[in-house]
Amino acid sequence: MVTLEFHDPSGAIEVTRPHAARVGTLEGKRVGFVSNEQWQAYRMLPRLKSLLEADFPGIEVLPIDAFPQGNGVIGSEETAALVKASGVDAVIIGNAA
Amino acid sequence: MTNAVAGLGLAPDAAMVTFPIEMFLPGSDISPLERRKREFYEGLTRWRSALAAADGGEPPMVRVEGATFEQALARANHVMLANRWGDGLPLWPPTRERVDWILRGAASPRRRTLGTFPPRGGVTTIESCAIALAMAGGRPEYLPVLVAAVGAFLDPESGSAQLQAASGSAFPVVIVNGPIGGLIRLNAAFGCLGPDPQRPAGASIGRALRLLQQNLGGALPGIGTMANYGGMRYTNVVFAEDEASLPAGWETHAAERHAFAPGISSISLAFASGATNIRRRGAKKETPEEDALQGMHRMADFMRVPNLAGLAGYEHGTPGILLLPGVVAQTMAGLGWTKASMREFFWEHSRIPAEHLRRAGGPAWIEIDTSKVVRDSITLDPWPITARAENFVIVVAGGGHPTNSYWLQGYSPGVVGRVIDVPGSFAQLLEDAESDLGPR
Repeated sequence: MVTLEFHDPSGAIEVTRPHAARVGTLEGKRVGFVSNEQWQAYRMLPRLKSLLEADFPGIEVLPIDAFPQGNGVIGSEETAALVKASGVDAVIIGNAA
Repeated sequence: MTNAVAGLGLAPDAAMVTFPIEMFLPGSDISPLERRKREFYEGLTRWRSALAAADGGEPPMVRVEGATFEQALARANHVMLANRWGDGLPLWPPTRERVDWILRGAASPRRRTLGTFPPRGGVTTIESCAIALAMAGGRPEYLPVLVAAVGAFLDPESGSAQLQAASGSAFPVVIVNGPIGGLIRLNAAFGCLGPDPQRPAGASIGRALRLLQQNLGGALPGIGTMANYGGMRYTNVVFAEDEASLPAGWETHAAERHAFAPGISSISLAFASGATNIRRRGAKKETPEEDALQGMHRMADFMRVPNLAGLAGYEHGTPGILLLPGVVAQTMAGLGWTKASMREFFWEHSRIPAEHLRRAGGPAWIEIDTSKVVRDSITLDPWPITARAENFVIVVAGGGHPTNSYWLQGYSPGVVGRVIDVPGSFAQLLEDAESDLGPR
């Protein structure tokens, strides 16, 4: 019997920070959108905003353009700071394709 | 997306709601959004990462068995394909012995970290490079070039974080300058983009880089990279400038673009998304001046296309890389041309009339670009395909024949250079290569 032992080439992944904590309920919460304005986001995110507002009493959903939009800016530290400063409890990011 | 979050140091999963691509097209039916609204709600409230415990440790060695070496080798290849570690061509299993052999070409310790490979975020070390080079059929003396190329690839200036996942099928182009190219049998002449059994280094180095893009970077077609076509991705493009054929007074690419002194071994990395042979030579009784000028116009005409791939590198990158055979460079120099004057010509004659840009929908892409330089360029008519002439890359390479030149269409936010470090035992590695492969 011949045995070959070799390295797994997929290497290591380091998890250095946790995902954001989830909210217990969306009722009475403040929710924002961060949009890249691509892939029909201009139609889909407003629809989602309406659905959230219809389904959760007391929810406040910020306008789609409350934060800077576009692939070039939504990943920036400046946009992240604006999101944090807005006091939102949760954020939906879209769209990717 | 999971690759992207892993690249940010998060666990490699995310709360996502995914739909078929048709819903993201103009005029689509977006009613599925309402039917699946609860998935959005649960993503915000109940979702938990299943992979938060990843500890950054190396995965265990893989073990296969066979009644014969032939069977074990076949089994190893099957395992590598089944785990999505291969590229469809046969691989050398990266055994300890083979990887240690490759590491004889390392100029720094095997555990030295070069960074994390985007977008998945695989921890990239000298040993990672050696593993990929072993799989790709490489040799120890190739490792310094690969390590330098990986260093440039991981530099944020290269744009690799976006291009790895993007649909535009960008592939890295690695241009090598300095003595190392000839020493390790890297091609600069006939067939320099490969394959070439006489000068096989470029194929292995480029293939190893591609395996790293996939195995550490997560660029699996249709999963981690949305590259529609993935052109040139088996071996990428790795070649040397034909410095011996540079006309007197013409600088190397490394000196022009990166200010590396002559005699320094270095790499320069850019991304391209297309490759076109251009029939440069005239066919009848042209004078030398006519032959040169017609060829220049033919090359500029190839560059004057409104597909906007060059927007990525409009300000700091490159609209493309032009390969010019040494015999043509010598003739052009004899007529008074320099790399700089050729760049000025291309910049001037590749401009696109605003009307042509408009009918192709170009202004919309220019208006949404993040670069102010790009957005401001919309007022220019004809519209230059790059912000300045210096962005064109011209490299003397290719066989000693005057008929053709070659245009690698750029899709490259930057052009990143790195000096190549070799180990103290490099001369011995070259002697070993002579013994294994015969004289250069």
